[in-house]
Order: sequence, then C-alpha cells, then structure tokens
Amino acid sequence: MTDAIATDPRRAEIEEMLPFYANGGLPPGDRARVEAALAGDAELRLRLEIVREDMAETILLNESLGAPSPRALDRLMAGIEAEPRQAPLLARAQTGIVAWFGQWLAAQPPRRLAYASAAVLAVVAIQGAALTGLAVRGGSGGFETASAPAARSSESYVLLSFKPEARAGDIAAFFRRFEAAVVDGPRANGFFKVRVGNAALSAAQVDAIAARMKAEDGIVSFVAPAP
Amino acid sequence: MHTESDEDLVKRIATGDRLAMKVLFSRHQVRVYRFVLRLVRDETLAEDVISDVFMDLWRQADRFEARATVSTWLLAIARNKAWSLLRKRRDAGLDDDFAESIEDEADDPEIVLQKQDKGLAIRACLGRLSAEHREVIDLVYYHETSVEEVARIVGIPENTVKTRLFHARKKLGEALRAAGVDRGWP
Repeated sequence: MTDAIATDPRRAEIEEMLPFYANGGLPPGDRARVEAALAGDAELRLRLEIVREDMAETILLNESLGAPSPRALDRLMAGIEAEPRQAPLLARAQTGIVAWFGQWLAAQPPRRLAYASAAVLAVVAIQGAALTGLAVRGGSGGFETASAPAARSSESYVLLSFKPEARAGDIAAFFRRFEAAVVDGPRANGFFKVRVGNAALSAAQVDAIAARMKAEDGIVSFVAPAP
Repeated sequence: MHTESDEDLVKRIATGDRLAMKVLFSRHQVRVYRFVLRLVRDETLAEDVISDVFMDLWRQADRFEARATVSTWLLAIARNKAWSLLRKRRDAGLDDDFAESIEDEADDPEIVLQKQDKGLAIRACLGRLSAEHREVIDLVYYHETSVEEVARIVGIPENTVKTRLFHARKKLGEALRAAGVDRGWP
C-alpha cells in the first residue's frame, strides 16, 4: 500500500515531527505548524494517535525496569575515595593564598604573631574536639551511601493521560471518584503517574480500576497499570 | 523549598564536593540506568556503567559546558560506554548467544496478542527492535528529549535523528502487523 504521507514532502516533514510534538520537545514555531497541519489532516491525526500509544507503552516498559541497587553508588563512592585528590583550580588558588600569607607573616611584629599563634591553636583545638566527636558518633568512618535499602513500593499506580478537551472540574471529580492522587506529572508528554490504592491491591484489582478509568472515555485518553 | 540546580551541583562537584555528587547521582541514576539497561540488557553491567558514567562526571566536572543540560551530558557519556560494551561483546562473539537469551526472555508478540493485550504486544515488539532503534525510541518517548538533544547524545545530525526515528517507528509497526495488530500504518 502506498504511503500517501511519505510521498508528500510537506506532510512527511510534519509527520517526522509528531513524536517531538507529542513529547513536548518542539519549539513554538514548529509546534504551531504541526497543530495547523493536524487540524485539516485526519491521516496525520491517526499517526499522532499511534505515536501516543507507542509513547505510553515505552514509558510503561521503562518504568518496569526498576532502579539500580545501592551497589552502583557504593562502587562509585569507592572509586572516588581511591581517586587522587583533584581540583587543580583550588590547588592553584591555595598556592597563591599560602604565598600571600607568608609575606603577610614576615611583615608582622613579634607580639602580634604571638597573639595570632595562640588564636590559631585555640581554633585547631576546637576543630579537633568537634572532629573527634563526629568520628566517635560516626562509627566505621569512610563513606556511607544515602541509598535506602531496595524497598518495594507500598502503593499501586496507573499511568494516565487526559483528553485535551477534558475540563479541570471533570478531572478533579474523576480523582475524587477513584480516590486517586497524582504522584508524578504531568510530564511534557501529558502523562501522570497516579496512585490508585495501596500495595495490598492485586494486579487484577489494579487492572479493574484501570478498566473503569478507561471507560470514562469522555476525559481519559490513556490508562494502564504502572509499576 | 529551594532545590539546587543540576548545574550548581556540577560546580560543587568540580571543587571535590562528595555530597553534591550523591545528590546528583540520586537525581539521575534511575533514568540513566534504564537507558543503559535497555541497551546492554544486563542489570549488573548496567550498574557498572552508571557508576563509571558518574565517575567520569567527577573527573570532568570542571569541563562541563552549559551548552547542554546535565541530563543530556550524562546520557551522552552513558551511551558511549554502553555502545563500547556492546562492541566488545560483538567482537568477542558473544552477541549471538546473548541475542538468543533475550529472545527467550521476551514474550512473543503473537502469544501476547492471544492474551488480548495490545499494550503488551507493543512492549514485546519494542523489546525486539535493534539497539539503534530502541535507543532513539527511548530517548524521544521516555526521556522526552528534543531533536537537538538526541543529536548530541547519539552524535548524529538532526536530520538523521528524524529519519532514524521514523524508521524505528516503521519497524515497530511492521512487527506489530506481523503479530496481527494492524493500526493502519505502515
């Protein structure tokens, strides 16, 4: 079958922009051109629907991949600890400060130097006490990752997008009906991650909620259970 | 609450600030990991790659140019490392066995379709695209990157980004049609 869009350079150019239109990545001028073309071209609108469908499934696929274990950060921080000290700019700055400080010291009278030395010793003693306290409280020393143990989510979610014509009042009522709440979004592509209950819900129950949401096709454009 | 920008964190990292490194890592690790995992398809390897990516950032933070976002920069480094791994695996002749193991893992789109789930069928077909096509689809559909950002990350001209994505979408549609899903294109 001949692809009528592919054989028309003007429509083909618009067609290639559809994924970027759908993900919110088009500059305003191109966005307006795409919208004008879509308004009078049913075939292009169908392509946009396909793009949106593939986009939703790509998001679900990626979300199902989970997250790296704390091992990744541990490995990184171990690498950083093993790395020789860097920051050349800082080192250069420090060299300059040391030279300036040496010249300043040489210019000071002995009594002022004695007072300054006593003050420096006091500061060093206070810092020492503070660092010792930290070390005692800190236990093993070295670095520790801030990663939480790989906890499982305690909630159940769906991925959801609304039709462009959906009104704010309808959307708010929709969330109340389903006792649902947005936990992430809207992303540039218009998708929300929505909490629909706690983790005690079975996959079948989440499927059923998603199906009931999908039935609200006056406002819902896409919905599917999300990890 | 004030959230420090990625660019500010990179400036702190350039002075050797480990805490800033942990914050930036926490912010981006999941997305970079998923991008790499979709390419190398091995969790342990993907974790190794992301720690190497952030190690590069640690070493090169003072050379970061604000022409690109930090996220684009990280994905570009991750992409280079992932492809370098894929090339090594191909050179070592491991790719055929590896590809077969992937085939076993992924649901067959036709079987999935018999379960009456079009979404699952699309995901199964997404998993069967070539690495080159998976990469461009993920960058645009999941990472929400612009044409310019994809060009930067993948290292190809902007027009090639558009045509590569077009072909990836077409392949996906063909795979779906072969599995029994006809969406009217291609």
